[in-house]
Amino acid sequence: MKKLHLLGILIIAVAIAVIIVSLKNTTTYADFTEAMSNPDTEYHVVGKLDKSQALVYEPKVNADECSFNMTDNKGVLKQVVLHKSPPQDIEKSEQIVLIGKMRGEQFHANDILMKCPSKYNDGAPKLE
Amino acid sequence: MNEINYIGERVWAGQVGNAFIVISFVAALLAFFSFYAAENNKDYLKLARTAFSIHSISVLGIAATLFFMLFNHYFEYQYVYQHSSRSMDMKYILSCFWEGQEGSFLLWTFWNVVLAFILQRRLKDGEWEASVMCVFALVQVFLASMLLGTYILDHKLGSNPFLLLREHEQFSKLPMLSIPNYAEKLNGRGLNPLLMNYWMTIHPPTLFLGFSSTFIPFAFAIAGLWKRKYTQWQETALPWTYFGILILGVGILMGGAWAYEALSFGGFWAWDPVENSSLVPWLVLVAAGHTMIINKNNGGSLFTTHFLAIGSFLLVLYSTFLTRSGVLGNASVHAFTDLGMTGQLVIYVLTFILISVALLLEDDLHRASYVVVSVLLLFMAGIFGHKRVILFFWLGASTIITIVCYYRFFPKQKEEEKLFSREFWIFLGSLVLLMASLIITYFTSIPVLNKLFGVEYAPPKPGVYNTWMIPFAILLSLLMAGALFLKYKKTEAKKFLRRMMYAFLLALLFGASCSIPLYFIGDGGFSGEKLGYAGLLIAAFFAIFSNIDYVLTVMKGKISKSGAAIAHLGFALILLGALVSTSKKAVISRDTSGKKVSSLGEEFDAKESILLTQGDTLPMGPYLVTYTKKSREGINVYFNVDYLKINKDNKPEYEFTLVPRIQDNPIMGQAAEPDTRHYLNRDIYTHITHADLNVDTAHIKDKAFGDAKNYIGHVGDTLYSSNALIVIDSLRTNIGQKEYEKNDSLLIVTAVLRAIDAQSRTYKAYPKYIIKNSVVIPEEDLIEELGLKFVFWKIDPEEGHVEITMSEKASNAKDFIVMKAFIFPYINVLWLGCIIMAIGTFIAIMERIRKFKLQSK
Repeated sequence: MKKLHLLGILIIAVAIAVIIVSLKNTTTYADFTEAMSNPDTEYHVVGKLDKSQALVYEPKVNADECSFNMTDNKGVLKQVVLHKSPPQDIEKSEQIVLIGKMRGEQFHANDILMKCPSKYNDGAPKLE
Repeated sequence: MNEINYIGERVWAGQVGNAFIVISFVAALLAFFSFYAAENNKDYLKLARTAFSIHSISVLGIAATLFFMLFNHYFEYQYVYQHSSRSMDMKYILSCFWEGQEGSFLLWTFWNVVLAFILQRRLKDGEWEASVMCVFALVQVFLASMLLGTYILDHKLGSNPFLLLREHEQFSKLPMLSIPNYAEKLNGRGLNPLLMNYWMTIHPPTLFLGFSSTFIPFAFAIAGLWKRKYTQWQETALPWTYFGILILGVGILMGGAWAYEALSFGGFWAWDPVENSSLVPWLVLVAAGHTMIINKNNGGSLFTTHFLAIGSFLLVLYSTFLTRSGVLGNASVHAFTDLGMTGQLVIYVLTFILISVALLLEDDLHRASYVVVSVLLLFMAGIFGHKRVILFFWLGASTIITIVCYYRFFPKQKEEEKLFSREFWIFLGSLVLLMASLIITYFTSIPVLNKLFGVEYAPPKPGVYNTWMIPFAILLSLLMAGALFLKYKKTEAKKFLRRMMYAFLLALLFGASCSIPLYFIGDGGFSGEKLGYAGLLIAAFFAIFSNIDYVLTVMKGKISKSGAAIAHLGFALILLGALVSTSKKAVISRDTSGKKVSSLGEEFDAKESILLTQGDTLPMGPYLVTYTKKSREGINVYFNVDYLKINKDNKPEYEFTLVPRIQDNPIMGQAAEPDTRHYLNRDIYTHITHADLNVDTAHIKDKAFGDAKNYIGHVGDTLYSSNALIVIDSLRTNIGQKEYEKNDSLLIVTAVLRAIDAQSRTYKAYPKYIIKNSVVIPEEDLIEELGLKFVFWKIDPEEGHVEITMSEKASNAKDFIVMKAFIFPYINVLWLGCIIMAIGTFIAIMERIRKFKLQSK
């Protein structure tokens, strides 16, 4: 049984390592205010696209950058610079999740997740 | 709402379907109790078998009814309405069947019935029939309940696929339902266009058959614990287990192939929760299958076998919970809709854990008390709340009980396994698989843990999974390389190591030389990450060469006996293919500014896309590309991109055209679908990241100039038009001595503008600022080739700046696309590995069945 005991200890050690490392490295969900107080820490910020402002995208200057405004769940509005080309349907999104850091007054996102309207919410059925 | 007399509704169909559902549920319940009794009293077997047959037939009936409704367009039923339409091709009818939640549960239940039918005939009159079928019946009770859709107290039990549209809470308020004969006018919403491909027809049924098959080793393990016959079931369960490994593995790989072919995240595996939660049960099933072999041979790893066999099925239930309960909401782009079945699914998982632990207890009294206390805790949680605390307490207590039972009651091996024995290495392998599964499960379950602990950790990026999985992949490869050369019980270390040396040296040679390019990628040098890749390269090659060696030398080339070696070879190829194509994935659309080419876990990964204006040719990687045209077919917009290469005569030569597309999906929004060029040693994979879907070209023919834009600047400044940049080179005063001499109140300043287009061609324009008798008369100038017009209309001598307006012809606004292109090197190694692994597993299954038949003669 001694070998198995050794293995058991190894397993527990690996498990602890995983938990510690992942807790150290994972980002948390936050709002803009929290992200501002910790610039250079990466956060996931959930919010809604501000549709009153047009999305700025100059592909000839930089095809991988666009900017828009977003309000987080607490209602704070900030300008976002996304380091990717704009996702195809961003104007239709119900909710977006940005992954990035706050720099000055802008949130620099390197990734974005979008939640589009649920398929149960759209229009009336077709009558032939 | 007034009582409307609806006409044309075929209510009978729903009633038939519901009758089948109720019968299947009741029959399953009856079968459960009868088989339970039959374990001790054979008289009940007949009743049990009859109940099981009735259950099976009713399940077939449910499926047939639903299929009938879909085929005949009974849109008054919500499931038919939501997932199909009249205009849909009939070849997609099967995809509609399992597109929705209820349909996929039905598919699972159906497969269970099919497998149980075959299994039961094998077990008939044997000693395992009653117990195994009893477990099966219980599983079916739970699955059937997922289709009931009835209400118990306040809680909804399951979700019924046969609800009429007007009975469904989401659709009951639709205005057209107030028309009595709505049924004949109705058309369904149709199948999601993204799912209208052949993958949707083959991937779900294969995957669900795989899930379904995990219940067989589970049922045997439970039966074994129940009967306290811990070592007699492995032999029978083995071929079924490997069948599950084969089918589930193929199902998962199909998902990867589908993603690679049709989705645009740029790969075949994204460590998405849906993917992970089907991979994990497979890994555990593989582990279980291997410890079963040890078990069968010399009775070792007994507890581990039971643990893994039960664990695999529990993980399938857990994965169902994860993907259908909406708990992953923010964590993934998949649309997880909560059908209100979360509580139910949680209870199912917990119930089976309860049964497993209870059966471990040796004493009947202990068992009864454990069950009673657990049920009491459940009620307490329901009534008084504090669900989390009670859950943790119960899980903790159950774990302790399991450990105690293992030490006190569970039969253990007397002899310790030697280090250089096949059993020990297989056991190690299963342990590695289990650990990898736990880590993946942990990361995937972070949203669940968030809910449980009230924290808000974000789930990790795919790169994290890759990093963590590399050491496990290395270990697995090393074990796969050596295990078959080890004998049971004991192998002489020196002989073994000498045997392995050739394969190892070859692997070192190959692996090391392949790793050398890694040194030059990115920031140069060998980081920890790169050492990991190099290590896996060598380990995977080692496993490949070693297993080829085994087939050739030990098995003397007899393929029919080399199932295991071939399967291991396949798996090693998969690891190799995945490693090489992902880590060396070159983004060729990238602006080559010397940045890191690795695509794993990079932060601000800018400059990956290329902008292609219609008609212009740009260099991209080893090619010259031209975006030629855009066309629309239904909801798909296709973008043609030509690829050329410079040939020996230094002239561009046409190679091929790729047509990535964007689907204007009415349900899911715009979905980019890639087009890939397949070569033997690499794939060129492209997809659109941004494009204008408007195919209307009328406005391009407009010859007039658009609105003028004003620019304030100095000499040396640059203006931008849509097709060029324009530099204010200089200002010249008083060009034309003659005019000046005629009238000295004439002032002419000419702005010299130099325009440079995308092909670096230069054009000049000379708009003039003229003051004649104190009146400003600017003289415009045009650059015809670029469709630009300039008017120099103001000078401010104090500020030292000038104001020039520029207008463009409307036809300048050329259409453009933004595209990403990747080269996946050697990705065919991955697909080859999948096929080889499947073949190897199949051969192994056939061999085992053959041996089994010989023995029983």
